[in-house]
Amino acid sequence: MTNSINEFDEADLFFVIGSNTTAQHPLIGSRIINAVERGAKLILFDPREIPLAQFATLHLKQTFGTDVALVNGIMNIIIQEDLYDKPYVQARTEGFEELKTMVARYTPKVVEQITGIRSSELYRAAVMYAQADKAMIVYAMGITQHVTGTDNVKTLANLAMLTGHVGRPSTGVNPLRGQNNVQGACDMGGLPGVFTGYQRVNDPATVKKFEDAWGVSGLNPKPGLTITGMMNAAHQGTLKGLYIMGENPLMSDPDLTHVEHALSNLDFLVVQDIFLTETAALADVVLPAAAFAEKQGTYSNTERRVQLAQCAVSPPGQAKADWEIITALCRRLGMKCDYACTEDIMREINALTPSYGGITYERLSSGYGLQWPCPNDTHPGTVFLHRDQFTKGKGSFLPCEFKPAAEIPDDEYDFTLTTGRIYYQYHTGTMSRRVDLLEREAPEPLLEINPEDAKKLGIRSNDVVEVESRRGSMRIKAEVTTRVPKRVLFTTFHFKESQVNRLTNSACDPVAEIPELKGCSVKIRRCS
Amino acid sequence: MKLIAKKDVPAVVDQWSKTYAVLAPSLQRNGECIFDTFDRATFTLEYRKPSMPPKSTYLPQSEAIFQVKDGGFIHSARHEKTMLFGIRACDHTGIRQARSFYSRDMDDVYHRCHAEDTLIVVHACSWPQNETCFCTTVHSGPYAKEGFDIQLFDMGTDFLVEAGSDTGRELIADAPFRAFDVDDASERLNRVKHMALNSIPIVSEVTDAMEILRAGGANETVWEHLGRKCITCGGCVYVCPTCTCFTVYDRVTSEGNGERVRAWDTCLYAGFTREASGHNPRASQALRLKRRHEHKLLYYNETDNQDALCGCVGCGRCSDYCPVHIGTIEVVKAIADHIY
Amino acid sequence: MARIPTICPFCGCGCSFYLIVKDGRVTGVEPSPDNPVNKGMLCAKGWNSYEFIQSPERLTTPLIRKNGEFAEASWDEALDLVVSRLTGIRDASGPESLGFLCSAKVSNEENYLFMKMARAAFKSNNVDHCARL
Repeated sequence: MTNSINEFDEADLFFVIGSNTTAQHPLIGSRIINAVERGAKLILFDPREIPLAQFATLHLKQTFGTDVALVNGIMNIIIQEDLYDKPYVQARTEGFEELKTMVARYTPKVVEQITGIRSSELYRAAVMYAQADKAMIVYAMGITQHVTGTDNVKTLANLAMLTGHVGRPSTGVNPLRGQNNVQGACDMGGLPGVFTGYQRVNDPATVKKFEDAWGVSGLNPKPGLTITGMMNAAHQGTLKGLYIMGENPLMSDPDLTHVEHALSNLDFLVVQDIFLTETAALADVVLPAAAFAEKQGTYSNTERRVQLAQCAVSPPGQAKADWEIITALCRRLGMKCDYACTEDIMREINALTPSYGGITYERLSSGYGLQWPCPNDTHPGTVFLHRDQFTKGKGSFLPCEFKPAAEIPDDEYDFTLTTGRIYYQYHTGTMSRRVDLLEREAPEPLLEINPEDAKKLGIRSNDVVEVESRRGSMRIKAEVTTRVPKRVLFTTFHFKESQVNRLTNSACDPVAEIPELKGCSVKIRRCS
Repeated sequence: MKLIAKKDVPAVVDQWSKTYAVLAPSLQRNGECIFDTFDRATFTLEYRKPSMPPKSTYLPQSEAIFQVKDGGFIHSARHEKTMLFGIRACDHTGIRQARSFYSRDMDDVYHRCHAEDTLIVVHACSWPQNETCFCTTVHSGPYAKEGFDIQLFDMGTDFLVEAGSDTGRELIADAPFRAFDVDDASERLNRVKHMALNSIPIVSEVTDAMEILRAGGANETVWEHLGRKCITCGGCVYVCPTCTCFTVYDRVTSEGNGERVRAWDTCLYAGFTREASGHNPRASQALRLKRRHEHKLLYYNETDNQDALCGCVGCGRCSDYCPVHIGTIEVVKAIADHIY
Repeated sequence: MARIPTICPFCGCGCSFYLIVKDGRVTGVEPSPDNPVNKGMLCAKGWNSYEFIQSPERLTTPLIRKNGEFAEASWDEALDLVVSRLTGIRDASGPESLGFLCSAKVSNEENYLFMKMARAAFKSNNVDHCARL
């Protein structure tokens, strides 16, 4: 997030797109509800009738995979109507003319044809967003899990810059991170091309810095493969060994048949986890890890706040904290690795990572965490980013053309299947399905189908249906509901009983390599 | 009636903690105050309303009530001398209401064990802890009337100490507790009580709403409106001193062995009332909220009230900690003022 | 009884709470009242987040697959095998034949160390996690 959770309380308008906030980030969703009750406006873009829809000033249900056209159309109206922030655009951005020329092609009529949103509503959305004093864009995986995920994000950034809604309190572009430490895993260099703090592995000075600090030579200067790339490489046999720590790709990744084949094709698979997950069941070696309550360490939340968790109880049996396991391995590999505690590791992170430079255990335990960038011991942390200038100086508009989704429904696969999470369950279910109350509230997967479609196909609620894509099929109980529009089906990926990721498409965004989990084409029939 | 200098209190509690497992206010390094096992280093008398009632002592969020092990049955109810130091009168009333509930129809041995073992030191309020306090409206505070062991009244540099039980009297018999032997002792105490009573505003909508509910109920749109924004966290139930509902589940720990666990449940989750057929008599969040608030304000068993007005003790925590402002204060105002 | 501060293991909000520990067992949670993220509140998942860690299904010992079946192993045995197999693959097929998946669920320190091991000990930049999923 460019901004912080507390800033939701002061915003005038929320532009929520691709986020079922009350289900996925309940304590951020509640702040949006409260804001609406005190008079803030909410523009919601979501094909589904999610709970926030009841609070929306305007709820626009765009066709799947058309976000770039939608937002380009909004920018076009803002420019045509002269509602953009001219002083801001002039002082802080570059590339406006290119943006203007490109979005000019996205007339309300063109956008209506692509997105299904009426031009009058597009106008209302554009005017409301542009005229708000403090407007926050909020998004989640509904924006990123598309073959145009990168373009979607760039286009939203264009919109925020065009209207001056970035670099001030209660504005900004705010992706809500889905896991307790997904922000931290990225910050710590858990990505192919970067060390900690997004320092590039192909920058010679950076490589030298890490080689010196780590006492090694010959660090690989070539960015590696993403998770999707690794699965493909394993499938082809060029990736032979894989070490997975605390992840369950055999539930979470698209096209599970492909993933299963990829993992089975490996010469050696190590999985380190707290449960014998679907993925761990395929491993050659399984290492038992400690859970969050059984170790000390820091986690970085969606607003870049690094917080310290303490150890409450001992891990069961011989299970060990992940850092202890890795330390033991590093020693066997001949690396100097003499950390006595996680604080020792944090000191090394502080020294190597400018944005984490001042984030020490001493400071974390005497307050409520620190938001990076926090470069030194006296820096208070950063509540919102891009205050006076962007990281690179001027903010560049990066105009993107609309590109269609990888799969468009046709005569045979005539429905769009979209996936997400539900309130009571979490990700691959490894943790939440072992909580009695959560399991009672949401014990089984359901497939949402619109009543009109259900009627045509003779499907009633609780009927078992078979859903099939070009990659796989599953059986699942139907829930007939107006939450989904016609020709759209929705279910979650929490339940191993109905693995929706057998069906989903592994087609990826070319830059971020994020798969298009938010839409694939399927056919459906009632099981006799 | 006794007096004790505030500066002597930490040493006294330290002494007590050798006999009792003492739960007391504790100032954390990050600056917030919670109730935790007494620690001289973090103990403080400068604290506001704790964010949670002391339910963890009587009804832990989860508790293995018995185990089956190697063919044998192990009952886990056991005795441990405990002291709640410095709880507020509203929470004390909450404890008494819950105790009444848990002993009314049958003996709940787990709850009884905890209750019999717990010594209560009430810290009477001299003024509202924050803007959501309404104990005086529901007659649950600002000081305890009975059922406590010791009660402290703030007199500036001293506490005026009242014993409510024989154990309490023994505990305050010796130094540093000193006699409060002035002629007008009870008059002075009454003055303190009177000032405290008057400092906490009456929320008249509570009694108005109770009248409306008694007369046939609130406008359904109130529940519909509130039900729409409830995010179903269950927080209002978890922070409520008088919410006592639990679920029970069995857990296999190893082949042939297992345990029965009881854990906090909440009537705001749909599964709380869902029937085996799949039918749910309280099918919407609106109906679930309605039932919860009607229970507190209308249906609560009168014998469980323990001299309070209803099943709400006016601690205001559901208003403090509801993510979308559906606390009792907001609910009674919506009902009484016909807001929706 | 003790209260130990921690961070919710579910979504990215980063709500802070205390775990209530009695006799070595976590019996419940208590939200941090003044934390600026959650201010004494939690969602249904947060309030119930203490339970799964005590599941009898937790992994308690290293496992090594032998003849298709998992067999319990000692830490030394398991770690030696991991090191010999991964270094063997690296030596035979190059560092790019190895992959390392970090975790959006473990701590910063652990992700850092895992990334360091992959890049420094194995010279592989095939490092990623499920940020995209």
